[in-house]
Amino acid sequence: MTTAVQRPVLVRSSDRMIAGVCSGLADHLGWPVKFVRLGMILACLAGGAGVAFYAWLWTMVPTADESAKRNARRPASPIAPAVSLPPVPAPGGGGAPAAGFRPGTGNSRVVTTDDAGPLPAAAGAPTVRGSVPVGGPSAGPTLDRPASGVGSIPRGGPDSTAEPPGFGSPSAAWNWSSSGDQGTWASWFTARSIPYGKEILLGAALLLVAAILIARQFGVDVPLGTLIPAAAILGGAAIAWMQLDETRRAGLVDKTKADQAGGWVRLAAGLALVVAGVLVMVSGSGSWEQTWLALLASVAVLGGVALVLLPWGLKFWKDLETERAGRIRETERAEIAAHLHDSVLQTLALIQRRAGSEQDVVRLARAQERELRAWLFSDAAKESGLLAERIKAVAAEVEDSQGHAVEVVAVGETDMTERHEAMVQAAREAMLNAARHGGGTVSVYVESTAGSTEIFIKDRGPGFDLDAVPDDRLGVKESIIGRMKRHGGTATINSSSDGTEVRLAMPSANGDVGGDAAEQRTRNTEARNTEARNGEAKQ
Amino acid sequence: MSTNPQSGPERTVRVVIVDDHTIFRSGLKADLDARVDVIGEAGTVEQAIAVIAETRPEVVLLDVHLPGGLGGGGREVIAGSAAMLGTTSFLALSVSDAAEDVVSVIRAGARGYVTKTISGKEISDAVIRVADGDAVFSPRLAGFVLDAFGTAPADIADDELDKLSARELEVMRLIARGYSYKEVAKELFISIKTVETHVSAVLRKLQLSSRHELTKWAAERRLL
Repeated sequence: MTTAVQRPVLVRSSDRMIAGVCSGLADHLGWPVKFVRLGMILACLAGGAGVAFYAWLWTMVPTADESAKRNARRPASPIAPAVSLPPVPAPGGGGAPAAGFRPGTGNSRVVTTDDAGPLPAAAGAPTVRGSVPVGGPSAGPTLDRPASGVGSIPRGGPDSTAEPPGFGSPSAAWNWSSSGDQGTWASWFTARSIPYGKEILLGAALLLVAAILIARQFGVDVPLGTLIPAAAILGGAAIAWMQLDETRRAGLVDKTKADQAGGWVRLAAGLALVVAGVLVMVSGSGSWEQTWLALLASVAVLGGVALVLLPWGLKFWKDLETERAGRIRETERAEIAAHLHDSVLQTLALIQRRAGSEQDVVRLARAQERELRAWLFSDAAKESGLLAERIKAVAAEVEDSQGHAVEVVAVGETDMTERHEAMVQAAREAMLNAARHGGGTVSVYVESTAGSTEIFIKDRGPGFDLDAVPDDRLGVKESIIGRMKRHGGTATINSSSDGTEVRLAMPSANGDVGGDAAEQRTRNTEARNTEARNGEAKQ
Repeated sequence: MSTNPQSGPERTVRVVIVDDHTIFRSGLKADLDARVDVIGEAGTVEQAIAVIAETRPEVVLLDVHLPGGLGGGGREVIAGSAAMLGTTSFLALSVSDAAEDVVSVIRAGARGYVTKTISGKEISDAVIRVADGDAVFSPRLAGFVLDAFGTAPADIADDELDKLSARELEVMRLIARGYSYKEVAKELFISIKTVETHVSAVLRKLQLSSRHELTKWAAERRLL
């Protein structure tokens, strides 16, 4: 391995004899063009290796133009620095792919808009993986690339020299398992569990095979006729199943990448292994030679066909990949446009028509803001069964119906129970009152701790005297105080000329915990209420 | 809402508004009352740093999200003006309610955080308060603080940065409930100055605490 030197990226040069491969390669390696061309011709004489190599580079290496276009699409840096705070250690590269495709919050969203269409390989932190330790017919020096934001490219593919740094990630998508999802998946995988688990497994299998071979050398009778087909079936099934598992995992990282071609290739390989194994088993050890020959023949035919079709196949695949990325981006854009049209544009039109009514305008703006916020920031995975979420929904409803801003601040989380539902209803009633009679913004504060849940609803209205409220008015007495009492909670109302605050408290499910304290506080508040009874009665 | 007793009505505070939306800037300028004198505006990180260095305002009204620079937004402006933190205070202004955005500018050195939806009068009050060296906490920021530090009070003995004292918790709770400083003072039978001291102490803890939960919490949370 050479040390990481900043080399010009490998692109096909415009100074060309046939396709510009040699001069591009010469530029990249810093060798004279003549030597490269000569070497290539010599390699062609060596059993046609040069032809294969040339054809390979022709297909895989982009021209200078293509490469420039591709690089321009990729943001300069992964999003990680933008998301994290300076005093906070940046989330590692493993986290980057996950964040990249969410309409995340704030900065991350801004930075990733360009990359919203998932390119096959997210330009996340470049990961260098030791891939399957199969040394291909590597003719040249293996290059150790500087980590320059180019998507990770596996080493040790069928031809090591054919993976120059110039490769945009899309072009790497062909490579067996090394399509984009695999790239992100691999970093994800290594980040979470044993690094190189697969490689270790493969190594163990190879050692086992070697042991069997040695045992045969020493004359131990190993029933190869059964062992090989069985191993083939096992291996094939393992490959296919592993792929299934990876698809699911990749789906967690990014759903749109779950159906990539690497998966298909592995599925096919697994299938072929299983079929071959079954074939051999069925045909029996008697005609072992015959099966072997048949297999060899079919493999030879398949290999020939593959050799002929490979360049076209790869080219086709690359085009498909590019188009697919473009389409995904387009779809995403269309979705955003549709959403904006349905929501924001409609609201703006409404606001223009109602420009005369201040309250309508404010109400529309608030409702739209809420909706947009929910769409941008809400976490789909977040449970909706939480008290804070319910309170927010109720607050939104009150805000819509009354046209008064209701600000909710929530601390801590608690699951909804029947009693909490009663609490939500009481809170709703209090919010309605506050919005109807109070002035300005209604503040709602929800605090859930292990022992109890408290909700405060505060307005800045003129206040009222609780005792002066006639008994036939169900609002306060029944819907708030009575309801809370029936469900084992308490409600206290503290009203002065500066505003009214309703406090709802509910001890947690099994506890009379805090009952005394709540009672104590109730008494306190009552005492304060008597002091504060200078408020006017509400209408 | 009351103005600080020390700041008479005749006092004006020199302010720079940093926000990338021209419409919002002009709207805010029209909304701010006579106590606030807008001496400069900026729309990007680079512009902001240059304008702040040139005009040396007392207070910078700073949007959390800004184009330009390295993508760090308001945080980067504060970092770029670090030399003036002694004379210039930053008040973060944002539509974003995301905890990590808010907490990150506070930790960078902002003296407070208010949402863009509050009235011109309230913003003016907040500007005066920040100019006087106090901290400005909106109910939502108080909620973030309570969520991050937890609602259990610290022991009397331990005066570390990682927990709030019982009194600070009370103040934060009342602010989260929508109380103004004056109302908090009345409720707790303390002076407004004492409330301001408590809030400043909380701000300091928020800025300096290396509490593991705080950073983790801020990074994980995507609160609405």
